[in-house]
Amino acid sequence: MRPLGRVWLLALRDLRLVVRDRSGLLSLLAFFAVMLFIMALALGPEEGPLRRAAPGVLWVALAFMSTLLSTRAFALEVEDGTLDDLLLTPGGKEWIYFGKLLFQVLLLLPLSLLALFMAAGLFYLPLEQGLPLFLTLVLGVLGYASVATFYAGLLARLRGREALLPLLLFSLVVPVVLASVRATTGLLEGLPLGEVASWWQLLLVFDVVYVTASALLFPVVLEG
Amino acid sequence: MLLRLADVSKRFGRDWVLRNLSFSLEKGEVVALLGPNGSGKTTLLRLMAGLLKPTRGRVERKGEALFLPNPPAFHRHLTAREHLLYDLAFHGKGGDWRGALGRFGLPADLPLLAFSSGMKKRLALARLILLRPHLWLLDEPETALDAEGRALLLDVLQEARREAGVVLATHDRALAERVADRSLELGGA
Repeated sequence: MRPLGRVWLLALRDLRLVVRDRSGLLSLLAFFAVMLFIMALALGPEEGPLRRAAPGVLWVALAFMSTLLSTRAFALEVEDGTLDDLLLTPGGKEWIYFGKLLFQVLLLLPLSLLALFMAAGLFYLPLEQGLPLFLTLVLGVLGYASVATFYAGLLARLRGREALLPLLLFSLVVPVVLASVRATTGLLEGLPLGEVASWWQLLLVFDVVYVTASALLFPVVLEG
Repeated sequence: MLLRLADVSKRFGRDWVLRNLSFSLEKGEVVALLGPNGSGKTTLLRLMAGLLKPTRGRVERKGEALFLPNPPAFHRHLTAREHLLYDLAFHGKGGDWRGALGRFGLPADLPLLAFSSGMKKRLALARLILLRPHLWLLDEPETALDAEGRALLLDVLQEARREAGVVLATHDRALAERVADRSLELGGA
């Protein structure tokens, strides 16, 4: 099987495992919904403050979700003891990184859309710029998930990985979160797409750099 | 030569588990690792597989190695059929998974969380037969198997010998004497 085929299969297998496990996915959704509700209650009920805070709240929620999902991606292997099987597959180990990353992106994108609709309802957000908002979600989610997957793999076999991961992760992904929040704010404030494009370019550069560096380093950290 | 360990030592923290061990394995050979609990049998198998790096010394392998842990590791929310199909795809191989499951008397569509320990051990053997590695590294493959399962294990080991090399860690000396060409006794470092 070609490397791309293995990547797809690993991502689809992980999606199947998460859906069948149910509890992990449900707790993630519950956490996410509760967080949005609490923030809306804390900042409301006036429309102005809610609108201004919405992009930040949305991306903080997405960042937490991505962190939890990246931990889950490797916990699937560690809890069942199957990480060794993946490591003993022939050839390079980059495909494992890409498979886990694709799993996260495939799960995070629909969750991000759901989050956007929930935020629109709770925070009075206009959704006229649907497609550009979706593009921002794709670029931001990819940038965040690329680093989260790398660190989750690095920490997979360590005790206390849930505590260590955010500490390592958040320092590196600050530019991605900032650029995503600024692009989202611009779109919601009705800025011309030309002005928002600079944030997309920045996000794209971070995505390319983070994915490339993580894929190159991943086999080394897995061999440990 | 399939596998060569040259003066290998392994330490966890301050504790030496293995010291200055040299070993080689040819195709067609079955070698039994014997020794009490904690003598380093599993560590040695993991070093041979490349899942651990030696603290000192060198491990050289030719071809694909597969490690069967005890207990075997499977995703509990997948069925036996799904697991074998994913494994075959990840290893870039094809094979008669229906035949393998039938031979080992396993249901194809039952989630593995409903499998007993013995059924999981049988599935692990079916997986090895399908993936056909060059080097079989088995950690106590006989545990949890009933009489029929043990007979299947003996058949599988004879098949493996034809085209691969096998190292099996066991506490069952009778099994070791029956299937192994030679034994390596570990006594702790």
